[in-house]
Amino acid sequence: MEATIRIRRFNPDKDKKPYWATYTLKDCEPTNRLLELLHRVKWEIDGTLTLRRSCAQGICGSDAMRINGRNRLACKVLLQEFGEKATIQVEPILGLPVVKDLVVDMEPFFAHYRAIMPYLVNETPPPIGEDGKPRERLQTIEARERFDDTTKCILCAACTTSCPSFWANGAYVGPAAIVQAHRFVFDDRDQHLQERLDVLADPDGVWRCRTIYNCTPACPRGIEVTRAIGEVKKAIQTGKRDY
Amino acid sequence: MTSLVLTITETLRYRGKIGQWAWVLHRVSGMGTLIFLIMHVIDTSWATFYPELYAKAIAAYKTPLFTVGEFVLVACVVYHALNGFRIALFDYRPQWWRRQADAAKLVLLGTLVLLVPVFFVMAGHVVNYYNERVTTFDLGLESVIEATAPFAVGTVVVLGLAFIVSAGMAVVPSLNAPKKRLKGSKMETFMWSFMRISGVLIIPLVFGHLAMMHVIQGVFDLTKVGHVPVFTNLGANVESTLTAVNFVRLRWDTMLAGVYIWRIYDILLLVLVTVHGFNGARYVINDYIHNKLANRALRLAAVGTMIGVLWVGALAILQSVPATTAEMLNQSSQVIGVDADTDALVR
Repeated sequence: MEATIRIRRFNPDKDKKPYWATYTLKDCEPTNRLLELLHRVKWEIDGTLTLRRSCAQGICGSDAMRINGRNRLACKVLLQEFGEKATIQVEPILGLPVVKDLVVDMEPFFAHYRAIMPYLVNETPPPIGEDGKPRERLQTIEARERFDDTTKCILCAACTTSCPSFWANGAYVGPAAIVQAHRFVFDDRDQHLQERLDVLADPDGVWRCRTIYNCTPACPRGIEVTRAIGEVKKAIQTGKRDY
Repeated sequence: MTSLVLTITETLRYRGKIGQWAWVLHRVSGMGTLIFLIMHVIDTSWATFYPELYAKAIAAYKTPLFTVGEFVLVACVVYHALNGFRIALFDYRPQWWRRQADAAKLVLLGTLVLLVPVFFVMAGHVVNYYNERVTTFDLGLESVIEATAPFAVGTVVVLGLAFIVSAGMAVVPSLNAPKKRLKGSKMETFMWSFMRISGVLIIPLVFGHLAMMHVIQGVFDLTKVGHVPVFTNLGANVESTLTAVNFVRLRWDTMLAGVYIWRIYDILLLVLVTVHGFNGARYVINDYIHNKLANRALRLAAVGTMIGVLWVGALAILQSVPATTAEMLNQSSQVIGVDADTDALVR
């Protein structure tokens, strides 16, 4: 089958403004992933096309892009969902500076990630195992379950760049950073809950969320993003993780 | 502003689901209602301070443009109320998120179901008015301009002052220290709860207000011969002596169980709606206006206007209390029977 791909191209060295370029690929399989088609454009038609991908398995989160108007991972989209004679529109995720073509500068995104303290803080020394060496801090199955959903995040930025609040104001930490914060706020081994909640109660923290729900369907890992943000808001309002 | 333009164009382009469109409608209906609220509170305060101006404003409200505007306003309020309830519900019960899209559809359906009979009744007032009392159709542009011009001038003056103050504040170093790290804001945390709780409290108050003042009786009825003002202690308006100004005062003077029921009602509505509305405006300003000078100026203008609206609104309601109130309140047990003696209540 044939596939037509419209790609939002931009080379800062040459182009004043981004433009749409259309490529037609023959002999495509319905089970081709969009990422493979983008590879074929780059390898067979125009080697200057720039995109980012690593594992190509939906794990690394490198190839988030806006596909037919929605944020998704190119490696998790099959051609067959668009039907015969498909036209697929591909553009970079919105709200981060475009470096070239489909590649955006992720630094502002990771700055927000770092701001929410994405690490466990526990001042007590780790428990000592039977062999006399320090061992992991154990936790009940239920306590682990409490934040299981938000451990799935791969930091692809699909949720954050689907959020109209983030488009409007890049100072907003965004859904992904709050998902990552949720993972530690609701971990009962963590001892710095108040500090975490204080950071998140910033005007540019959770309060910029307007409960629009764009982030939830954007997540390629199926994380209940808006719910996680809502739970963090409730933790802030009550000052407790078991509100 | 580029941020606002980008948000509008990309919201139209992004294939978000119904939650995204519910948010768009919520913002637009909220800002629309706020603009009307500012005019409405200031206009109504004239019933106490400048009766001639109030009479003119009510005359302008009867012109076709304002009639259309009133329908739009009622639609905005109804949608904003129902969708606001949905937002509050799902914010306090985030685990129910799977139902939010259904809820958003239900809000649209509920808005339509409410608006059909409401618009039918409102249209009835319009038709009656044009059938019975209007001989020649007149857009009344002059009257509209006269009624809105003070607000246009006021907007320019307030914005001008706000920009001057903002420019002054820009040179004070302690006010302009760059933000180093994220720090919890008690005010922002409080306002988030306030928006939701006040929003839910406002719903019955504003629906009651709309029902009484815009649906059961319309602006056309206020001075109509034979009209019985709704939920007041007034009888039928037999001699067309009931001016719009007197209508407002008599309504505020209506007592139930020894209490100025409509004064309390209107003060509650005024405070909740005004703070809710201007805080909403602050959210919008902080979302889209990033230029430091303009952002601060607009926030100052919003706070200033909010204080102004609360001040004139509250003053109008309280100052119109007749001098005899103190005595009346002392003898509140007897006051309940006073309803027929309207002359005693009119100053």
